[in-house]
Amino acid sequence: MSPLVLTLPVALLAGAWLAAWIDRLAPALWGGRAAGPLAPLRDGAALLARPNATTEAPDRLTRWLAPGTYLVLAAAGLSVVPLAPGVAAVDSPVGIVVWGACEALTVVAVFLHGWSPNSPFPLIGAYRYTAIGLPVMLPSMFVLIAAALPAESLSLIAVVEAQREVWNLVRQPIGLPLFLIVGLTLTLRGPFDFADGADIAGGTSAEESGPGRALWQLARLTMLTAFSAMAATAFLGGPLGPGLPAPMWLALKTVAVMLLTILACHALARTVPSRMLHLLWVAALPLSFLHLALAGWVAL
Amino acid sequence: MTLLRRLAASAPPPVYPCIGPGMLDPVERLFASGCARRALSPASAGVLLIAGVVPDRAAAAIDRLHDQVPPPRRTVGWSGADEPSNSLHDAWSGVLSGDGAEPDRLPDEPPNEWRGKGDHGHGGEGMMGGTPYGRPMAMTGEDPRDGLQLDRYTMRVGPFAPMLPPGLELEVTLQGDLIAAARVLQPPFPQEDTASAPPACAARMLRLLGLPHHADRLLRGGRVRAGVLCAVPKGLGAAMPGRDARARLRRWLDGEPGAAQAPEFGALITGLEWHEAILMLNSWSPEALRRAAEAA
Amino acid sequence: MTLVSIIALGLFAVWTGWRVFVVDSMVRASFSLMLSFLCTGGIALILHADYLGAATVFMMAVEMMVMAIFMVMFMMNPAGLNPMKMVHQERLSILMGALAFGVFVGAVLRSDLPDAPVAADRPATFDLGTELLGPSMLIFETAGVTLLAAMVAAVVLSSRTGRYGEADAGARPPGLTEGGDPAGRQPEEGGHHHHHH
Repeated sequence: MSPLVLTLPVALLAGAWLAAWIDRLAPALWGGRAAGPLAPLRDGAALLARPNATTEAPDRLTRWLAPGTYLVLAAAGLSVVPLAPGVAAVDSPVGIVVWGACEALTVVAVFLHGWSPNSPFPLIGAYRYTAIGLPVMLPSMFVLIAAALPAESLSLIAVVEAQREVWNLVRQPIGLPLFLIVGLTLTLRGPFDFADGADIAGGTSAEESGPGRALWQLARLTMLTAFSAMAATAFLGGPLGPGLPAPMWLALKTVAVMLLTILACHALARTVPSRMLHLLWVAALPLSFLHLALAGWVAL
Repeated sequence: MTLLRRLAASAPPPVYPCIGPGMLDPVERLFASGCARRALSPASAGVLLIAGVVPDRAAAAIDRLHDQVPPPRRTVGWSGADEPSNSLHDAWSGVLSGDGAEPDRLPDEPPNEWRGKGDHGHGGEGMMGGTPYGRPMAMTGEDPRDGLQLDRYTMRVGPFAPMLPPGLELEVTLQGDLIAAARVLQPPFPQEDTASAPPACAARMLRLLGLPHHADRLLRGGRVRAGVLCAVPKGLGAAMPGRDARARLRRWLDGEPGAAQAPEFGALITGLEWHEAILMLNSWSPEALRRAAEAA
Repeated sequence: MTLVSIIALGLFAVWTGWRVFVVDSMVRASFSLMLSFLCTGGIALILHADYLGAATVFMMAVEMMVMAIFMVMFMMNPAGLNPMKMVHQERLSILMGALAFGVFVGAVLRSDLPDAPVAADRPATFDLGTELLGPSMLIFETAGVTLLAAMVAAVVLSSRTGRYGEADAGARPPGLTEGGDPAGRQPEEGGHHHHHH
């Protein structure tokens, strides 16, 4: 662990604010009103100004542990991303597996968030999300391992080094779209928002108000930042690029992935859980397995 | 006012609407205009909006919803005649400054006795069942799909649920999110014709499909591409072949009005998952559902 | 520093393991067990076995999540709102536990554990991969395939749709003659299920 760990909170908060603003610019694509850069701060203040909602016999410990864990997992995921070639906040030789562990624990955090208020709609959101979130781990791991194969190492610093000549996006084209599925699931957005959907009255956030709700929304946005940085590192070459300093390139690529993810979130419809499950197991998983097999054949 | 309160006061107020007869379309247009934000549950709201004159059978539900909004809270009544944005804004400022908090309307007590028979005094079988903390514990029952013994939970989804037409009360027994049994307790309130117009109905379904911006575009008079139809599963609520929820949404997107009366839907939603059931219910206009519920 | 963190993680793992049997809430018990496993993964990370530690965290999170879902599905008291007695046959279990503890402590104290710290540039993950796909390949592959076969078989056996119809209605194959008995042994009447507390 290096002193670079101190840059993590700044990066996460800046990324969260930017993602929230892009979310509020998106309605302009469909003829709605776009909001200014202060709109996320206003909405955040409107949340913080309200008190916490209480329910009957909740699981008090996990009610705060869930959004807190979600935030910590976003930070942990971002900490293994290299900020410059050879430099990361936490130089882990198994950065990809660390990210996988963050994904798995995110499913646990969302489940606990829906479990703790002791209310039917949040609980439905929680286990519906788990049924989708756990199968999504599989394509995620296949795609990341395929991205690591040219580098012959699980460390993200090596993965970035292996992209000096050509980005992974060019030699493994379906990797990024499959990884976007993972990103949408991890951040509870768009076609994968089974946890906080409108048909269950807000799902796991139905009984949340005030600082608890603000913390959950912040955690979702920071996870989007961490995911975007991870996708930029694994597929777009991370901090590599001519001219500008390396962290600037990472920031630019992170913002590009963030824009893509938020666009997908607002443009794609959400189907029913059983159908989505069917699509994941029958389409996404074999596709990611083929993708890995192809990457392995090329690497041999 | 502190900086936080000043920032919060300039944000649109989170409003939970209790929609009475004839007020569905004005309320939906109010939220589409952006002067207030629709809260999906009372816990996330600060202002309770009572639109129209709510019949007596739903008055107890309004009390329950009122108490679920965390205090400080305000209630705003709207008859549909004037523009409500000023009164909503004033209510929101009042909520933020915290003066004149409305007290609870119902006593804060569980509905059942905690003491009873059973080993631990909760009225159950051994370590399970009974009414711990006054609420019935889910016991097992057979799963209609598999024959396994899974927990069954019965609940009432009340008259002002955001995903159902206003006034509709359902008693559903859930196993997970599968509806094992459903009963219609009260029909939806009568609404005016504009609430059952194709753009409004299609907008409601699009919101459930996670596309709020497309829904707002429909309400403004724009068109939405038919690609969203893939998200609705085939064969939902098909009275006849080719007349399922997907076909009804396609007709609405093309601007044609749908069926005048829905089939008896209490039995139709049994065996469906919650999301499928809600999509199916919203593929008929509120007027069609009302006629079906009153005919049954 | 290393020793302190290993001892702290070990103590926390033991405490959360004890909590599994003490809490009334089944979901909390599942996640308590997960925390205990996470501590073990943390110890592996500190001992420079990075892949093992991170993979333990990954796998245990998913497994305990599935267990928690099963608690909500099947157990009638997942939140512990009713007081529960979570243990059965305590005396025998305590005896066996103490015995196992004594055996393991004796084995650890009597065996010759290595003392040298691992070199910082040693490719631990590469060594692990070489071991798994070299000398231990047979164990690795057969265990994986056996587990998969067991899972598939369990799902097929418990599924309601039998080969010729509903499983709890006998699922009889078509007869040898029109409307006659099928070939082979005739199944007995059955299909009752237990409901135990």
